[in-house]
Amino acid sequence: MSLDAFPWLIGLSTAIFMLGALGVLIRRNPLVVFMSIELMLNAVNLAFVTFGRFLNSEDGQIFAFMVVVVAASEVVVGLALITTVFRTGRDLDVDDLSEMRE
Amino acid sequence: MTNVVLMGGLAGALLLLPVIGCLLNGLLGDRLGRRFVNWVGPGAVALAFVVAVIILVQVVGADSAHKTITVRFWDWINLGPNGLQLGFDVTIDPLTVVMIMVITGVGFLIHVYSVGYMEHDPDVARFFSYMNLFIFSMLLLVLAGDMLWLIVGWALVALSSYLLIGFWWRRPSAVVAARKAFITQVIGDVALVIAAFMILVNLRGQDGRGIFSISLPTVFYNAQFSFAHGSVVITAICILLAVGAFAKSAQFPLHTWLPDAMEGPTPVSALIHAATMVTAGVYLIARFHTLFDLAPIAQGMVACVGMGTALMAGVIALSQVDIKRVIAYSTMSQIGLMIFAVGIGAYTAGMFHFVTHAVFKALLFMAAGNVIHAMNDEQDIRLMGGLGDRMRNTERAFIAGSLALAGIPIFAGWFSKEDILGFGTVAGPAIPALFIVGLIVNVLTGLYAIRLWAVVFRGEPQTARPFQAHEPGRTMLWPVMILGGLSVVLGIVIQWPFQILGFSAHFLSSFMDPVFSSATGVVTEPSTFRGALALAIGTIASLIGVGAAVRIWYEKKPQAQEVVARLPRLLPQLSWHKFYFDELYDAVLVRPSRAAASTARRILEPRVFDGWVRGVTQLFADISIDFRGVETGLIRDYATGMLIFAGVFVAVGYLITR
Repeated sequence: MSLDAFPWLIGLSTAIFMLGALGVLIRRNPLVVFMSIELMLNAVNLAFVTFGRFLNSEDGQIFAFMVVVVAASEVVVGLALITTVFRTGRDLDVDDLSEMRE
Repeated sequence: MTNVVLMGGLAGALLLLPVIGCLLNGLLGDRLGRRFVNWVGPGAVALAFVVAVIILVQVVGADSAHKTITVRFWDWINLGPNGLQLGFDVTIDPLTVVMIMVITGVGFLIHVYSVGYMEHDPDVARFFSYMNLFIFSMLLLVLAGDMLWLIVGWALVALSSYLLIGFWWRRPSAVVAARKAFITQVIGDVALVIAAFMILVNLRGQDGRGIFSISLPTVFYNAQFSFAHGSVVITAICILLAVGAFAKSAQFPLHTWLPDAMEGPTPVSALIHAATMVTAGVYLIARFHTLFDLAPIAQGMVACVGMGTALMAGVIALSQVDIKRVIAYSTMSQIGLMIFAVGIGAYTAGMFHFVTHAVFKALLFMAAGNVIHAMNDEQDIRLMGGLGDRMRNTERAFIAGSLALAGIPIFAGWFSKEDILGFGTVAGPAIPALFIVGLIVNVLTGLYAIRLWAVVFRGEPQTARPFQAHEPGRTMLWPVMILGGLSVVLGIVIQWPFQILGFSAHFLSSFMDPVFSSATGVVTEPSTFRGALALAIGTIASLIGVGAAVRIWYEKKPQAQEVVARLPRLLPQLSWHKFYFDELYDAVLVRPSRAAASTARRILEPRVFDGWVRGVTQLFADISIDFRGVETGLIRDYATGMLIFAGVFVAVGYLITR
């Protein structure tokens, strides 16, 4: 792969990251917010791998794996929280859930 | 080296024992019961006395070059040879040994006496805890080899004195008296601290370089290089030291707290306000004699103040009617004599009188305690009389103490007091006048000592109470009897064997010689003829006082009464009102400061201080209102904030690295 692909890959990563960030800020459904966060994480993964490739280093890929692991555990916790909240019968809306008290 | 270790261990044990007693009684005494308390309190002091005796034997046995031992327990601040050095030092020398023998010996007897005296008091654990605290503080004061720790002990004895004067804290008068004593003592503390700083700043070594240490041996060794004889600095330092001594020893003009301190339990008066703490001023001046020798002006001031106080207190003691206050004023008077002695450089004479005075004055106080006990806490001597028939042993001891106080031959006080007067004839140009005053003091001492005995123990009972009086129990009687015996023989023991054997100086004097031999300002021993003459004149003066007192108050001769009645009106009035010092201080110090305080409370406090304090809080409250909106509680807003910040961060980083 030549050096020419580099700006495109970073640009793609940035675009996906911005999409994810916008999703987190705008959407109110916690499930969608989570998906957006995943989007951001994967954008970062892409950036890692890209940089690793162009710097001839494995560190980027290793970090990408780390991020995947953290993202997986985060999703586990997050989904568990969401289902618990859903069971209490409340609307799934991040603005309404800004306070933990009833 | 082993000697240093041994002496260090002994000194440590001496200091720790009362602390252990204090903590045991203070923390557990209430739970473990009265028997435990009564054993631990005097027991700790008894063990301390044993340790003190061992130290005495060690020091007496050491050759004269090794009589002074300084042990450094630990370094506190050590910034090298040219930097500040502070450590916990203990110095043991003959002067210290004399002090610790009296503190623990007389202290032990008074502790035993307290067992009986406080029998009906529910708070006896607290009492013994404070008493042991006092013993510790006093030992720390005299053992300290560094001025820092001397000041710590100095302040701690004031604290324990405060606690014990106010021991019966439900009595408002006791609380007020405790406060008065403490505040007066703090004046002395401050003077002492300033003196310590002045020494620290001005101390120079032989090579002229500054020494940043107030370790006592260092100070004394380098004093000759640091201060010119009679210079302003050394005079100021010595006057400050003297002010500290005056506050502690109840000397004019800081003397008003001592009579009021009689509000405390009687054993406290015997231990703290007669035998030990109030003589700390004498110790201080004797300890710092190297500095005082360089400051003749300060020495003269000390001598004059001492003799003046002796005279004034003697006059006041003549007319007081509270049995303990009479003895308190006599204490003040006798300490005046000691202060005079150390002021003219007769250090051993002053310390000799300290030893005998501790014995007979503790005795007088404890005998007075027996009387007060027998009279159901009545202290007014006008209501007593005729107690001698019902309290024979107490009376005998009291007579021994009174005669020792008056300075009648062969009693302990005679030797020491005439010793002081003997030195008084040879020292300095202004001293002959003071010698005459000393004779007047002798007469006065005989007068008030015998007056007290005659009014309390002789004559007809003035109320019903003396009829029910009886001797107290063993714990209260035995200490009094022991001290009574000592009042008779102590002077002979110390003085005679050595004079008969042909030594000019008495035992105490030759024992303490290594401490004072370096002193340049020590008065020369009076010649035999002069000494004998002073002895004779002084003894005659004492006898005149005693004889006159017997005529006036015991035999109640009409001619004697007439002479008393013909005295100018002013004198009895001044005596009765204690020279109006309380009134003077009230008008000059207490009232103005009260007025200033209440004015400040009314005007300064609400308008000025509260004003700006509230202003500051208001300012921050106003600012915070504007920032409160940021905290919405919505994750969305926080995330936006983070994103904006990250954007700014990236942009700035880009601009910088471009």
